[in-house]
Amino acid sequence: MASVRSHENIEMMTYSEVTDVSGYVGNFKVKIRRKPRYVDESKCTGCGTCQEKCPIKAGNEFDVGLGKRKVIYTPFPQAVPNMPVIDREHCTYFLRGKCRACEMFCEAKAIDFEQTERIDEIDVGCIIVTTGFDSFDPSVMTQFGYGQYDNVISGIQFERMSNASGPTGGKLLLKDGSTPQSVAILHCIGSRDVNYHEYCSRVCCMYSLKFSHLVREKIPDAEIYQLYIDMRCFGKGYEEFYERLQEEGINFVRGRAGEITNIAEEPGEEGKLVVLVEDTLVRRKRRIPVDMVVLSTALEPQADAGEVARQFSISRSKDGFFMEKHPKLDPVATTTDGVFVAGCCQGPKDIPDTVAQAAAAAARVLAMINKGNVEIESAIAAVDKESCSGCKTCLTLCSYNAISFTEEMKVAVINEALCKGCGTCAAACPSGAIISRHFTTQQIMTQLEGVLV
Amino acid sequence: MSFEPRIIGFLCNWCSYAGADLAGTSRKKYVPNVRVIRVMCSGRVDPSFIVKAFQLGADGVLVCG
Repeated sequence: MASVRSHENIEMMTYSEVTDVSGYVGNFKVKIRRKPRYVDESKCTGCGTCQEKCPIKAGNEFDVGLGKRKVIYTPFPQAVPNMPVIDREHCTYFLRGKCRACEMFCEAKAIDFEQTERIDEIDVGCIIVTTGFDSFDPSVMTQFGYGQYDNVISGIQFERMSNASGPTGGKLLLKDGSTPQSVAILHCIGSRDVNYHEYCSRVCCMYSLKFSHLVREKIPDAEIYQLYIDMRCFGKGYEEFYERLQEEGINFVRGRAGEITNIAEEPGEEGKLVVLVEDTLVRRKRRIPVDMVVLSTALEPQADAGEVARQFSISRSKDGFFMEKHPKLDPVATTTDGVFVAGCCQGPKDIPDTVAQAAAAAARVLAMINKGNVEIESAIAAVDKESCSGCKTCLTLCSYNAISFTEEMKVAVINEALCKGCGTCAAACPSGAIISRHFTTQQIMTQLEGVLV
Repeated sequence: MSFEPRIIGFLCNWCSYAGADLAGTSRKKYVPNVRVIRVMCSGRVDPSFIVKAFQLGADGVLVCG
């Protein structure tokens, strides 16, 4: 990330949002909302004094509720750029007009409470959309008691906990601060489930295995259970990792957990979470008492994926992820020329697949830039200026806004880069002035004669 | 002799024509009564095409898109 930011040909805009996209391949106009961070990027040295001096704390979004952060903060230690932002909603100065501690201690005089939002407009030739995914909220699956029982945590929370710079400094801890002696990891939470997402999220099997390995490493004598439907270790070296974990003494239970309860029925269950599961390999119901449960949650489309899709004219597949042009032959492009997708916004995928798709998208864009021109479809519409009466019927019908009207000549003009060749205008033109190339009225009539006479 | 209708099908390139193509590659059999004419969109189908088809003796016209 840091080397991307320092690259001379790359301009990185963080804390910014695309608000509007217009134009077409080679000529996109993009409006970007630059949110105020209340810190002058040209002055801030990233020393971190402001974060030390800030007296107010708020929940740390990056730690998914496990830790706290200051109100002037960088989301995580490696964040690029290494410059803080003021959380306006919790800042005492913005709420009550007093404090300004950060401003007082900032040696670089970089704090600027007067910053306002601004809109930048840029011209670009191609767009690569890489907006990522959201993590499934497991609290809707009430049978697992996420949010109800203290020690039922999501995969991402486990990840933060096991991180050396995370809220527990890398220690796996229960809510009361003690170390868990047994951990159950539940696969497919929200995935492969007709009630939530039917698709497989692809990454959970492997990160669940990684979690087991981390627990084994940090707490060597812990009992670790993996509750899975199927182990899908599809990538290079993945099956070998699975084999290795079997040798590390992880208990693999083939079955989808039905419920988590804190009601003890048998000795040894007191004060523990009991996972109810049918072990389908031995055809028996089991009650597994553990200290901590990790839910391996599904990857789902971002909450605002519909809005983003509309902005960039991308279609979405049934599962809500952005749709590629062709699932096998063109998995990087979209149906809008010049707009490409990469990563989890197109569908759940792991890091190697994301890197491959992103590199492919970059290569496709570079190929277009190098070429310097764009090939357009031959099967598009054309207007015969002599016959066009200027009735404007076609203007309202065109789904791609490819037709405009010239006032001086009083005729319709088709933008060849935007036209998809659907031919709706040709069918609707009352004076027959629009020709749908390769699908002319004469050609279709001749075909009719060919098959019927 | 049983009645064998002759039906003209105007199929959209992106959905129904692709579907007919998929039926072919999946080796699914279907009756040959529909004669397919590919269009880039069902919006391309001018009402005059339908009238012309009936004039030329078609028993039915299918517009899919």
